[in-house]
Amino acid sequence: MSDLALELRGITKRFAEHVAVRELSLQVPRGSVYGLLGPNGAGKTTTIRMILNVIAPDSGSITLLGQPNTSPGLLDRLGYLPEERGLYKKMQVRRLLRFLAELKGVDAKTADRRITEWLERLSLRSPEKDWGLAKVDELSRGMQQKVQFIGTLLHDPEVIILDEPFSGLDPINAQALKDTVVDLKRAGKTVVFSTHLMDNAERLCDSVCIVARGEKVLDGTVSGVKSEHNKRNIALALAGAPSDDVSAILADHSLVSRMDDNNRYFEIEMAASGNPQLLLQRLVGAGAEVQRFELIQPSLHQIFLDKVGAAGVEEGMSGHG
Amino acid sequence: MAKLWTVIKREFLERVRTKWFIIVTVFGPVFFGVIMVLPAYLSVKGMKDVKVADIRIIDATGTGLGDRVATRLGGGPMGDASGTQVVVVEPAKLAEAESTATLDVMHKSRRGYLVLDSLTISRHKASYAGRNASSLSEIQIIENALHSALLGQRLEKEGLDPKRVEALTRVKVDMNAERITDSGRGGSGIGSAIFGFIIAFLLYMMIVLYGQNILRGVLEEKTTRVAEVIVSSVSTDILLAGKVIGVGAVGLLQQAVWLASGAAFYHFRSQIFVSLGMPAMPNFPLPQVPPMLIVALVLFFILGYGLYAALFAAVGAMVSSQEDANQAAQPVVMLLVFSIIFAQPVMLNPTGRLAEIVSWIPFSAPVIMPLRMSAISVPWYELTATLAGVALTCALCVWLSARIYRVGLLMYGKRPSLREVARWIRQS
Repeated sequence: MSDLALELRGITKRFAEHVAVRELSLQVPRGSVYGLLGPNGAGKTTTIRMILNVIAPDSGSITLLGQPNTSPGLLDRLGYLPEERGLYKKMQVRRLLRFLAELKGVDAKTADRRITEWLERLSLRSPEKDWGLAKVDELSRGMQQKVQFIGTLLHDPEVIILDEPFSGLDPINAQALKDTVVDLKRAGKTVVFSTHLMDNAERLCDSVCIVARGEKVLDGTVSGVKSEHNKRNIALALAGAPSDDVSAILADHSLVSRMDDNNRYFEIEMAASGNPQLLLQRLVGAGAEVQRFELIQPSLHQIFLDKVGAAGVEEGMSGHG
Repeated sequence: MAKLWTVIKREFLERVRTKWFIIVTVFGPVFFGVIMVLPAYLSVKGMKDVKVADIRIIDATGTGLGDRVATRLGGGPMGDASGTQVVVVEPAKLAEAESTATLDVMHKSRRGYLVLDSLTISRHKASYAGRNASSLSEIQIIENALHSALLGQRLEKEGLDPKRVEALTRVKVDMNAERITDSGRGGSGIGSAIFGFIIAFLLYMMIVLYGQNILRGVLEEKTTRVAEVIVSSVSTDILLAGKVIGVGAVGLLQQAVWLASGAAFYHFRSQIFVSLGMPAMPNFPLPQVPPMLIVALVLFFILGYGLYAALFAAVGAMVSSQEDANQAAQPVVMLLVFSIIFAQPVMLNPTGRLAEIVSWIPFSAPVIMPLRMSAISVPWYELTATLAGVALTCALCVWLSARIYRVGLLMYGKRPSLREVARWIRQS
């Protein structure tokens, strides 16, 4: 048995006007929480649809739980919460959930037992009121989202794919979702989710992959990605406006690749070959009065902005992620 | 296959459970029954009781002809002639009686008046004036009564016993039209025409009601985004197949209920008509249908439904809103309307060139062929060829629709152009 829950190798998908995903490769270890990050239109949903075998990639291969994702029955071990959520409005909640479970190969009896458990767990069923007997359109939006979430997990899947799970959630449901993701990880499940909300990803994910314009920008464990970017950023504060000498040092491209100049405060991105210690020595040597010189841990958000920038969002793309 | 069954089950049960289905299924036959019986009931009731007999007969013949006419209008010697007023006058006072009668009709105390005079006896001429003078059927009834009364009177003049005259002149003609085909005489012409029409109509109803139902179902899955979840569990092909079969089963159930109640109505028709005080319905036997023909009919039924169901599903997958759906469904609806438009000319002339052509077109064959088959015996090679044509077209439509459905189901936004749809078909 492979220790990877999911592996994409060189996936490319072209649509008529554009390439949605280009040569994307990634590996999701079993039992991990994996974030697929990127701006809208980066190809996240297309990637997920290819993983789910809803659309076929033009080239490349997808391995799910050690098997090609086209293997029969494999999808039954997968749970999927789409970004665009919806349910049959006129259907009774319990019947709808039983239907979703049966589609994943769960027999009616097991499904019924689990539905009751889940409805109680998410407080949709109490001695006073059983929302399972109501029709979907009688439920509030928040309750419908809970039902949808139950539908994703009812067949006890090994791999759970959540597409933008936090969009449209109220804070309470968002917290419930985070708790459930943690529970699922503890139960040994693999969770893959796409999001453009970096804060959530940073807190929840073991590993991430950032995509933009259909291409991978970077991937790895969250700590790995952060430490990789750890020493590259420097916060510099001077007592007064920089002298010409100091300005010349900051403009030296062998040291500094990019600089955000706020007169006395600078955010400096070191050049690939640049050494922060050398920079500090030269600044002090040039007579700069340094108030602050700090190697800052960039947040995932900053890394994302640095790597993707505003240009990462392709214009004119629909919200297909 | 278990998943296909799950989809079929849902499509079937969720539809059968709706109030709409129960109402249409149960009240459909009641409604049609009323539609069929009511006009006959009203006309029979009306003609006998109120309208026709409610006239004044001004009899200036001096031979009692007026009473004879009244008796016949009232339904014979056993009937009730009191509805008709007979006024016997001298020929000289005829004009006066006529003007009185005109006033009475104007004041609505009578519907009209019939004038009988010496000319009626000698030259068989009479005149009628009344509010219903333009109703051909009512005038026909009065004319018939007069005709039969005159005939009776002349026979009695020749010395025949009045009772015998009454018996002899009350002839009720019931002409049974029988149909002759290449294979000999078989069943009644009217019976098989009605049978063929019922089959064609049922299929048409099925396609219109349930084809649109499939369109709505697909559209619902798209607009509510349920499709997103479903396709992560089953392939779109299974989803499409389950939908078409499940909805088809709902339609079949409904048709079965309708056919059963139609059969019950046919079986108990005498009781129903008698209990409504109407003469028993003329007896038209159901046509003898050979088993092979039934097989062919069922095949046309299934293939025709499958063909249109696939087209409607494709339309549903192409669009994202009800307004777009109405527009995009137009071509498919046109194909259907086109079939039903030709139903009447084909029924009138089932051997004509037109009938042959439209039964060769796969889109109209499922509706037209049952009609023709009930009217004439279609050569077996023609039957096989058209069936094969429909089957082939059905397969092609299902194949195309499955591809459109696969791509379209997860596409939102503006309606695709034909070019885009062609690309969907190529790329999936």
